[in-house]
Amino acid sequence: MSERDRRLLVFVALAVALPLVLLAALSLGSVPLPAASVLRSGLTRLGAFGPTPLPEMGEVILWSVRLPRVLIAALVGGGLAVVGAALQSLFRNPLADAGLLGVGPGAALGAVLAVNLGWAQQRFLAMPLAACAGALLALLLIYVIAHAGGRPTLSGLLLTGLAVSALAAAGTSVLLVAVEEFRVRTVLFWLAGGLEGRGYEHLALAAGFVLPGAAALLVLSRPLDVLSLGEEEAAALSLPVHGVRILVFGLCALVAGPVTAVAGSVPFVGLVAPHALRPLVGPLGRHLLPASFLAGAVLVVVADLAARSFGQYVELPLGSVTAFVGAPYFLLALRGQEGRG
Amino acid sequence: MSAVLEARGLVVDRGRRNVLRGVDLALQPGEGLALVGPNAAGKSTLVRALAGLLPPARGLILLEGRPLASWPRSGLAQRVALVAAEDEAPDRIAVEDRVALGRYPHRGALAPLTAEDRAAVARALRQTEIEHLARRPLGTLSAGERQRAALARGLAQEPVVLLLDEPATHLDVRHQLHLFRVLDDVRQGGVAVLAVIHDLPRAAAWAPRMALLDEGRIAAEGSPAEVLEGPAAERAFGVAIRGVPVGDGKERLWRFEERA
Repeated sequence: MSERDRRLLVFVALAVALPLVLLAALSLGSVPLPAASVLRSGLTRLGAFGPTPLPEMGEVILWSVRLPRVLIAALVGGGLAVVGAALQSLFRNPLADAGLLGVGPGAALGAVLAVNLGWAQQRFLAMPLAACAGALLALLLIYVIAHAGGRPTLSGLLLTGLAVSALAAAGTSVLLVAVEEFRVRTVLFWLAGGLEGRGYEHLALAAGFVLPGAAALLVLSRPLDVLSLGEEEAAALSLPVHGVRILVFGLCALVAGPVTAVAGSVPFVGLVAPHALRPLVGPLGRHLLPASFLAGAVLVVVADLAARSFGQYVELPLGSVTAFVGAPYFLLALRGQEGRG
Repeated sequence: MSAVLEARGLVVDRGRRNVLRGVDLALQPGEGLALVGPNAAGKSTLVRALAGLLPPARGLILLEGRPLASWPRSGLAQRVALVAAEDEAPDRIAVEDRVALGRYPHRGALAPLTAEDRAAVARALRQTEIEHLARRPLGTLSAGERQRAALARGLAQEPVVLLLDEPATHLDVRHQLHLFRVLDDVRQGGVAVLAVIHDLPRAAAWAPRMALLDEGRIAAEGSPAEVLEGPAAERAFGVAIRGVPVGDGKERLWRFEERA
């Protein structure tokens, strides 16, 4: 099979898989709704195909509970995967991930701070914006610290990310101790990641940040390709290396911040989706970024479905589900990379 | 003929160290110049400064008569290409895609690949004789093939000056000969080629002109025989250098001996 055919096949498979898993996620749950009825109810809403076959309760579950949640899951996964792909190009490491580079922990710190100070209760946008600011701060801190001693090595950059992540996590823990007791449960659940009780305002929030941010990263895919050749070659090819890096950092924070604010920390999606796709669609941003978006969306919709299908009354934290799958993947990939030297 | 690229009194610092301490060097269109010198003489620094990657602390670099600093980034990269010894491109990228990134200075971030871009990429692949590897991922190539792909990226820029830092370092003798044949081809097209070359006999065999960099200054300049047989080379390298004429007397066999 030629490279182009393989790429086409992957895109077709993802484009077919996404609506299928969305439909499955809409119809499965504690109250199952037949997939055909879900589709017909959708057509009814569009003003076609007669009355809806669903009972009133089913209509409420489908349209007020499941649809926003499922679409948020898709945006969360897509956004995190695109950010992961962009950061992997930027750091020239196929195992880079927002979580490993302090974006997730930074966003979490910002969001918990907003909860702690009571901003999140006053203004709806306060938490996502605080998460954006935290994510951006973490990335800039990593960038500045790593560059303080001249040109940083890749491992230096990643280790700096580790240190900043630890710092942000420590800050989050300190804030948790100070959080009033009635908020602890909310914050804890939120830290583990989850989409329980998310509605259309959260969907609007996620869409408002993720879609423009991911689109802008896609526009930057060629500069990211050039950057992946190494700093010196990129500069010799007229790329404003620092400017592009800062811009990409800003866009990654813009996507990852609100995603973290809506879904909590959802680790490893940004690592697994692009890493698994790179052998299939190649490393060029114009292929890898859109494919990662679709794959990340599929992954998180399925992970969220698994999280809420675990038991009748208990939901697993979404972040735990992605970690259970992602962490072993990461370890295997790490061994593979070390094996190649 | 006026120089296409020229350094005048060039001083470049790296950290607090003066690496280049007043370099004067001019490159004519279509000329081949080998830059030689002992370790830490500042060869890589000079090449990077000429490519516009390191700002001069003092002195001036002129590209087509205009100071380098006054060129826009893309205009500079359309005229000067740098190919380093270490290829850091990702393993999974296809050779052709890697070479096509050499068109970035011409296309920018958004323009699609034009017919002209495609032609430049195809020409670069043909010139370096790696057309058959076009769709292969970089990671599956040998070191020599990878170096050809890196060179092809530089050629795809369609520069007027090609700067190479130790291009032959990782290459076996066959790939070395091929490389220097390609560089001669490129010069035929009017491109000035400056290559840092560690291997002195190899440098002498290829280059019509040689410049010796020692402690941040050009210590000698001229034909390879003039440079290597002069006192500056002995001083710079700290060895006795002797050229033994062979064949028709134009070629030399070089002998190096430690000085007592």
